[in-house]
Amino acid sequence: MIIAVVGLIGLFQTYVTADMLSTLFGYSAFSDIIVGTFAGAVSSGNGAISYVIAEGLQSQGVSVYALSTFILAWVTLGFVQLPAEVSVFGLKFTSYRNILTLLSTIIVSYLAVITTRLFV
Amino acid sequence: MKKLEFKGVKFLIFVVTLYALLSIIDFANSLLGFQKFLYILWGLLPIFLFIIILTTMINYFLKPKQIMKYFGEDSGKKGLIYTIIGGILSHGPMYAWYGMLDDMRKHGLKDGLIASFIYARAVKLPLLPFMIDIFGIVFTVIINIYIIIFAVLQGKLIDMLMKK
Repeated sequence: MIIAVVGLIGLFQTYVTADMLSTLFGYSAFSDIIVGTFAGAVSSGNGAISYVIAEGLQSQGVSVYALSTFILAWVTLGFVQLPAEVSVFGLKFTSYRNILTLLSTIIVSYLAVITTRLFV
Repeated sequence: MKKLEFKGVKFLIFVVTLYALLSIIDFANSLLGFQKFLYILWGLLPIFLFIIILTTMINYFLKPKQIMKYFGEDSGKKGLIYTIIGGILSHGPMYAWYGMLDDMRKHGLKDGLIASFIYARAVKLPLLPFMIDIFGIVFTVIINIYIIIFAVLQGKLIDMLMKK
């Protein structure tokens, strides 16, 4: 199963590149948040890569909110590994966990931005 | 004798078929994808080794009754704290941990704790300097506190939803 997931990640990393992800941002603050969440969820690979992409996006003026949803979604969601998660934990658990994680990602980023404003 | 169980055979067949089809349509990229696959797999070997040793140690030292005690229905706050710390300290991709979690689940690990473990992995200790560099220290501290709070909440919600 892990071999299959890694195989699929190999293909994803070939076809979904960092440059391609960068072009999806910059249309509006709201779309950046949605794009950040889904781009993070479909991406795969070491979490450090998400920070490198985020740094590049930051210089393009993408909001902190969108950047944090992107990084969070990258490490907590994984569309590529969904079949593996279903086969191990079952469809019910996987569905609940991924829906909750998707919502949590957006809420956590929002709360973090709002709370930071109180201190900075 | 216990029969060996291979999970995800159909998924593996699907991925192999996908590579085969892509090699006909787009040979250069399918080869690049395969090279990336080998590279990732090579990089994962030390993590797999660590997880295999950890699973063996858990199976040896923690009997099913103890797993139930520490991570089962009545594990309480202690189980949650151990799980969150485990999630924060765990390395490597999520799917590398599925086998160990599945093994512990069969011995009584709560579904809520699995969800908490997975979400707590969003706190990436080695990557904190990168995060501070991009977002600043205040945001980094705040978001990581929220991640831990939501890891706990998510665990509770999963337990509630799975009981339905």
